[in-house]
Amino acid sequence: MAMIELCKPGQQLRLLLIEENGDEQDPTVWEMDYDGKSLPGDPRRAPAKLHDWLNERNICPCAPRRNAESQLAKKVEELARSNRELEQFAHVASHDLREPLRMVATYTQLLAERYRGKLDLHADQYIDYAVDGALRMQTLIEDLLSLSCLGRTGERRRTVECDLVLEEVLRDLSLAMKESGAVVHYKSLPSVVGVRSQLAQVFRNLIGNALKFRSDPPPVIQVTGERAGNECLFQVSDNGIGIAPEHHQRIFAVFQRLHTRAEYPGNGIGLALCKKIVEQYGGRIWVESRPGAGSSFKFTFPAAELEPADA
Amino acid sequence: MSPREILVVDDNPADVALVRESLAETAHQSRVHSIADAGEAINYLRREGKYRNNVRPDLVILDLNLVQRDGHTVLLALKGRANLRQIPVVVFSSSAAASDVARCYGLGANCYVRKPADLKRFFAAVRAVEEFWFGYVCLPDKEEG
Repeated sequence: MAMIELCKPGQQLRLLLIEENGDEQDPTVWEMDYDGKSLPGDPRRAPAKLHDWLNERNICPCAPRRNAESQLAKKVEELARSNRELEQFAHVASHDLREPLRMVATYTQLLAERYRGKLDLHADQYIDYAVDGALRMQTLIEDLLSLSCLGRTGERRRTVECDLVLEEVLRDLSLAMKESGAVVHYKSLPSVVGVRSQLAQVFRNLIGNALKFRSDPPPVIQVTGERAGNECLFQVSDNGIGIAPEHHQRIFAVFQRLHTRAEYPGNGIGLALCKKIVEQYGGRIWVESRPGAGSSFKFTFPAAELEPADA
Repeated sequence: MSPREILVVDDNPADVALVRESLAETAHQSRVHSIADAGEAINYLRREGKYRNNVRPDLVILDLNLVQRDGHTVLLALKGRANLRQIPVVVFSSSAAASDVARCYGLGANCYVRKPADLKRFFAAVRAVEEFWFGYVCLPDKEEG
């Protein structure tokens, strides 16, 4: 049944067929469309019937597979090209948007600096809104750029010692940790294969979120990692505000936020970045959480090759 | 001592105005002259045509994205000439591309400063450039030629 390309009820069934005794290297492919009714029953339920039906007509159901494979390869190539074009577009667009936006941002700031208190109260507020909007858009564009640049760091993948990465990230976050009175518990983490800066970004975003979305008691964050076969499973757990199950998927989409900026600042890009990085390496990322019960973010990453036992 | 002369080569009048604002109240009281076009800037520096009698600048602040010819052309024209090479050139661009930075230093730029997107940092960057080149650095005597 490998020659069946599309097989949904109500839709047309398209068959790529080859005549029996046809030339294997250069098969004559027939494309026939059936409305389903003219077929001997549902081919998924009764493949034997279809087989007989084909046999009666001297049609070999196996050979066209090669053709289908080359079509699939073509589609994959098309998809890859369209992905590349999209990334390029995001990159160029965000670059070109930066210049005019810089003008808006600097000149509204200059207005604020020169004319604050000299116009009326409304004017001050309008200027503040304009400055705020421009600055926020700048960080959005920077974020968009970093997302679109992810695939093109040019850095080679190598063995990354996650222990060192985590220590570096905790150093970066030490001020925020001190301010919130946070405690981070961690044990030795396994090594993985990847780009160090990207791994650091995943840990920084997850731990940063744990610090940001805290509840009343000081944050207690636990970072663990263990090797399981060819991959490593990492976990960043906190005692923060938690996330309702209906949002567990949505939070990983770009620019998705669950809170107003007044409650928690941010653009909604951190987890999207994490997801893109992890999936680039064939890993998965997900969350286990309930409101008020903390969150536990988990992700997998390809494990580093084990050192030979006897050196 | 007569005030120092800065030539700003930038085709964005808004940025030129910001540079002027940045330097308006500093101790150096530098004179700022601006040119938007790369070809004109080269004539100005070579003191050709209508620029025959102008003073050679002590410092050039050069943007990269100019109309018609880009800033690299100006850099090449400046650093490729024995009697212009000593004028320090600060590339002042909004481009963060590593290729732009590398290319400018390769062509002999004296430093590359990215235009900050924040007003305070923009002012600070321009003032720091002025303070460094006119407050700390020993510049050669202006050659007449």
